[in-house]
Amino acid sequence: MKEATAPKIAWGWVALAAIFLAYPLVFQSAFFRDIGVLLLLAAISASAWNIVGGYAGQVSVGHGMFFGVGAYVPLMAFTHLGWPPLLGVPIAIVVVLILSVIVGMPTFRLQGHYFSMATLAVAELIRLLVGTWDFAGAAIGLSGPAIPRGWWDLTFTSELPYYYIFLGVLATLLLVTWQVQRSRFGYYMRAVKAGERAARSLGVPVRRTKLYALMLSAAFTSVAGSLYSIKTGFVDPESGFGILVSVQMLIIAALGGAGTLIGPLIGAIILIPLQTATNTWFGGGGSGLTYILYGGIIVLLARFEPGGLVELWNTYAPRRWRSGSHAP
Amino acid sequence: MLLEAKNVAKHFGEFRAVAAANLTVAEGDVIGLIGPNGAGKSTFFNCLAGDTEPTAGTILFDGQDVTTASTEAHARLGIGRTFQVPATFEDMSILENVMVGAFMRHPKRADAQAHAEKIIEMTGLKDQAHLRARSLGTPGRKRLEIARVLATGPRLMLLDEALAGLTPGELQQAIALVRRIHESGVTLVIVEHIMEVIMTLTARVLVFNQGRVIASGKPQDVVKDPVVIEAYLGHGHGKRARKRGPAA
Repeated sequence: MKEATAPKIAWGWVALAAIFLAYPLVFQSAFFRDIGVLLLLAAISASAWNIVGGYAGQVSVGHGMFFGVGAYVPLMAFTHLGWPPLLGVPIAIVVVLILSVIVGMPTFRLQGHYFSMATLAVAELIRLLVGTWDFAGAAIGLSGPAIPRGWWDLTFTSELPYYYIFLGVLATLLLVTWQVQRSRFGYYMRAVKAGERAARSLGVPVRRTKLYALMLSAAFTSVAGSLYSIKTGFVDPESGFGILVSVQMLIIAALGGAGTLIGPLIGAIILIPLQTATNTWFGGGGSGLTYILYGGIIVLLARFEPGGLVELWNTYAPRRWRSGSHAP
Repeated sequence: MLLEAKNVAKHFGEFRAVAAANLTVAEGDVIGLIGPNGAGKSTFFNCLAGDTEPTAGTILFDGQDVTTASTEAHARLGIGRTFQVPATFEDMSILENVMVGAFMRHPKRADAQAHAEKIIEMTGLKDQAHLRARSLGTPGRKRLEIARVLATGPRLMLLDEALAGLTPGELQQAIALVRRIHESGVTLVIVEHIMEVIMTLTARVLVFNQGRVIASGKPQDVVKDPVVIEAYLGHGHGKRARKRGPAA
């Protein structure tokens, strides 16, 4: 990154943080706060996907499996053990780390579309298994505490606490990603994405790098899933492991700019209000529009700007406003 | 010996790309590998770099058997390579490209960056350090590949047509750069079609044809060898060279 652009980018982040902090105080209606919470959740999921899909270039189409585990385990802990769902969050992280190793070890022998197809197949398999597993509520799913037993159940009537919890998680995730992208591991991920053969010749441990990227990405995706189920107090196979969950992460990151820190956030800022608007305007009949919207975005990105909006900005914005070689 | 390849063979099904090739490289050598297209140079080269596992034979680096070692292990041991078609990381800056190599021996970011900047200066890429690799032309990319490998701190560098496609002016600059690298203590094995590079830089040459080493020796002698001439120009030309008598 050019040194001259660094302060500009830092101020940009400060401004963005201020906007996000002020948003629920300015827009106080439940509707707008709900959009804010959804946006943050989508940004967390997409930013988590971005670690392995954007930086390391391993396009997972099955990240719903990690989101689903993250969503189910806290509610399982509540349903079967009576624990606060919050205690299930670290357990879910451990489970997804094991799952990511089991999935990653064989699939990282595959490249490109084959890896994507393998992740999709595994996620669908898990969705089908969970849908028939009584312990996980089978097709009906699981519910969280209807009446809060204390603050630790994280069951709030207002959207405000959720908003700031989600914002805190997103800030942590972005900070971790920023640190990672500046580290040796971050450079190695980008080298693997750019060319595995060349990366190997420079001593980059390609398979290990991909596996660590998947584990880190899966852990944060699991946290996103946990936040989702704790907030909604419910999860079923479709909302936890559904294909749309996986595709949404991918589309949001790709729309904003996969492999950049800010890309998934930009994608979420655009897509979530748009999605909410179509659902609001067209009511229940508009739910299918989400698929059309996603399909349309995939076609437009593939045809015109695979690098997403950040890349578009870096190409057409006035030179002094562009980021350095590596987008923020 | 720094590198010893003994009876290295590589078969792809029935096709024998390399048949029992031998090569010894001492520390400080500059060795050239030449031969017509499809002679097996690149396959042999890939075996030396750990990119391709030989079907038979042994490769020793500094006495250690590296025949089946991974490409990453080769790099860690000190064997660096460039690619025939430059494989630069297009969306990363030149500095970042070189830092990927530097990270191998300098795990901390600040150290890797300082080392990469030194290498970038040495290879003449300082003015473009913050540009993306994709913005470079062929000479720049070739230079960047060399810089990236240098940043890994290699003891042996395998240059695969690293100087091909350059204009005469660029070629002279590139030759000077390779000389500087050699003077810094790096041993070199060069695959090249440009005879000017081979004649100028190398002390010994191996000639490949149809997967076999058909001649070896000083470049001045090898280019006059009738067997070599026949391999390049076809049947009959070697006989005429023999009639003209031995090289002066």
